[in-house]
Amino acid sequence: MTPAKKSNGLPVIALTNIEKSFGTNKAVKGVSFSLNPGEVVGLIGENGAGKSTLLKILTGMYQPDAGSIEVNGKTVKFRNPRDSIAAGIGVVHQEQSLFTNLTVAENIAMNSGKGSSASTKFGIYRWNKIYQDAKTTLEAIGSKLDPKTVVNQLGFVDRQMVEIARAVSADAGADGSSLVILDEPTSVLEKHETEVLEKEIRKLKNFGAVIFVSHRLDEIMRNCERILVMRDGELVADLKTTEVNEKQLFKLMIGHDSRAEASTHKSIDPKETAAIEVKALTRKGKFSNVSFSVHSGRLTAIVGATGSGREELARALFGAEKIDSGSVLLAGKQIKSWRIPRAVKSGIGYVPSERKVEGIIGGFTASENLTLTHPGKSAIGPFLIPRARKKIAQDWFNALDVRPNDISQELGRFSGGNQQKVVMAKWLNSPELRVLILDHPLRGLDPGAAETVNAQIKRACKDGAAVILLADTLEEALEMGDQVLVMRDGEVTSSYDLAKQNPSTLDLLERMV
Amino acid sequence: MSSTATNDKPRNRVTAGQPNNVIAGFIKRNVEVISISASILVLATIFSILNPRFATIENLQNLLNQAGLPLIIAVGATFVILIGSIDLSVEGVMSASGMAFVLMSANSRGGTDFGFWAYVVAIGLAATLGFFSGVLFTKVKVPSFIVTLGMWYVGLGIATVLFGTDTMPFLTNDDLSTWASQQNLGMPNNFLLGLLVAILGALLLRFTSFGRVTLAVGNNEEIARGNGLKVNRNKVTIFVLAGAISGIAGIVATIQLGAVNPTIAAGNLFIALPAVVIGGTSLAGGKGSMLGTVLGVILLTTLTNGLTLADVSPNFKTAVSGAILILAIVITAWSQRDRLRISK
Repeated sequence: MTPAKKSNGLPVIALTNIEKSFGTNKAVKGVSFSLNPGEVVGLIGENGAGKSTLLKILTGMYQPDAGSIEVNGKTVKFRNPRDSIAAGIGVVHQEQSLFTNLTVAENIAMNSGKGSSASTKFGIYRWNKIYQDAKTTLEAIGSKLDPKTVVNQLGFVDRQMVEIARAVSADAGADGSSLVILDEPTSVLEKHETEVLEKEIRKLKNFGAVIFVSHRLDEIMRNCERILVMRDGELVADLKTTEVNEKQLFKLMIGHDSRAEASTHKSIDPKETAAIEVKALTRKGKFSNVSFSVHSGRLTAIVGATGSGREELARALFGAEKIDSGSVLLAGKQIKSWRIPRAVKSGIGYVPSERKVEGIIGGFTASENLTLTHPGKSAIGPFLIPRARKKIAQDWFNALDVRPNDISQELGRFSGGNQQKVVMAKWLNSPELRVLILDHPLRGLDPGAAETVNAQIKRACKDGAAVILLADTLEEALEMGDQVLVMRDGEVTSSYDLAKQNPSTLDLLERMV
Repeated sequence: MSSTATNDKPRNRVTAGQPNNVIAGFIKRNVEVISISASILVLATIFSILNPRFATIENLQNLLNQAGLPLIIAVGATFVILIGSIDLSVEGVMSASGMAFVLMSANSRGGTDFGFWAYVVAIGLAATLGFFSGVLFTKVKVPSFIVTLGMWYVGLGIATVLFGTDTMPFLTNDDLSTWASQQNLGMPNNFLLGLLVAILGALLLRFTSFGRVTLAVGNNEEIARGNGLKVNRNKVTIFVLAGAISGIAGIVATIQLGAVNPTIAAGNLFIALPAVVIGGTSLAGGKGSMLGTVLGVILLTTLTNGLTLADVSPNFKTAVSGAILILAIVITAWSQRDRLRISK
């Protein structure tokens, strides 16, 4: 597992006119580029721009309809992931893809089918060799992890290091330099964790070429020498990092300028009853004695570290988690026996952070998902009216620019950002939406989709909903919120009315820890 | 700056080399084995009080004799459950192999005694049935639950056809028909065979690519495919292995009885499958151990044996066994509850 230095001047990988369609939807249209050994290249594009499809072609999950791939000067055809791994292509996936029940060493060895040659004899495992190989690989990327640790014992950054070790270990079978693909390796990481990872990324180029996919443009600018931009399945730009700035990249990705508006913070009318008021709400071991109120048209952002109890609080407000004591008042009226069906009926909406598991029904069409909770005119009593449903869904699709614009496709097949737009629309479709609870609504979204979702949040506010937002970042909380609540260890440590106060992120941080 | 950036607490980071953590760590890693062993002791104590005959050497040997057959089956079932599937065909496959075995050995109906080849054909037949289950499940993507439910009756049908309308065939070789209950090392032969199968199973799981890929597939099939592992081949192999083990169990069952009829295997799955789950193998796949399975079988056999000795009316015994079984599973599965896991 020594860094490959066999530079023969040939590109590590070269794509020529790659095409891929799904039905009538052309996901990748004639993409060509090549990477030289030692290059770190950024790949950016909105959700649905074709990045994921392109990566799946490179990793052998999909086969291209047309075009050719060359690795180290040789034309290759990837029929399955095995072929791609054998050619020396390793991936660090966006959603972690480790076997959580196995050890670090096994996870590294399981890639590549190498497990069946070097570390095993006639299918019998040589554990010592596996541990030794893993140690060597981990050391090569500068990690001190114990190869015998079971992965479910590791934190996120360490897991990501294992993924990287596995990705670079693929090069053992390759003739020349290898390619490491990092598919949004930082999208769920915290900032200090990201820094650790970025340091490792810079070392990776010793192994060959690196494709770095990220939604964070600053990260791309920092780590990559060259940037490829995709839009609507096409490669629209192939630039040196020194030649562009973030604004230009954004424009290339989206096709128009950023529409960021100056944020204004709405103040409270003291005579008005709060849309939702929480009094001394307690859930043992999660949060205690939480009191606050949100008025119609206002947005309250709740910030806090992991374990602050804000996620549980949000779920409890939606009736998804038990409340031990305290009360919830909707428009001044106390609610008894708070359960999800009652919450939905009372006009509460909830966008969960676990979108794939709790937010959507993947096997239902987009239009079915959209009208599932609040059917509006698409249902009369128990009877559904498909035509009305399609109209409602189509209107939302147009309004939110959901891509692909096909309401009858299964929602599970849409990209994350577009799924989130549909989840938002599901709640916004209710004319009586009073309270909207958003648990990390922007998690894993690209800038374009994030902008659309934020615009919808603001619109919901304007239309009179009280919004409770668990933001991903403090900046997001300060920009979107009219009020910011800080939680620590299950308690509210401070509350800022942004119409009057102007706390800095540092002020918030101090009260979080 | 992220809102959670200041959480410096490492998440469950492993801290090695702290002596006071060693014992706690050992208990935590082996919590299932320890709790099942404790349960067995508690049950045994209760049954000894209810009926002093429970704790006699004779009864304990009898208990192990009862545990032999379910143990063999449970080893195969552990592999199947480790990939998140289920094999309900066991009893049918056992009947088919048992019937084939007796009719090819020296038996009361006459015919040729094929000796060693009787074993080969019986186990081969069972493995073939397992192969078909595996292929239908993997290639046609029919849920294993349905495929093996069908294969159960296919096996039963084969046994019925072989049985024909003649009298019940019994083994005429006395050495053979008394083998199962004979003792070695103070334990009945059929239990020793069960232990041997379990040990081989444990080695297979720990020291072969087949075993490790099984755990990987059980943990996450999609990731396994993405890593270039041969998922389909692994799944089919598991069903062939489980079939072959059912075949061995079928032979042991006929030897125990000294004769064979199509329903010879009835009731065995009821002990074996729950034993695997109680032994800590997750029905979702990816997690489990052979040691747990062995203990699970002993626990449930103790229960059945003890209830009989405790003079629970046979009329009630069936229902009581069922109720206790559900309770045991609930207790075992309690720690695995997850808000995001949906059971269907």
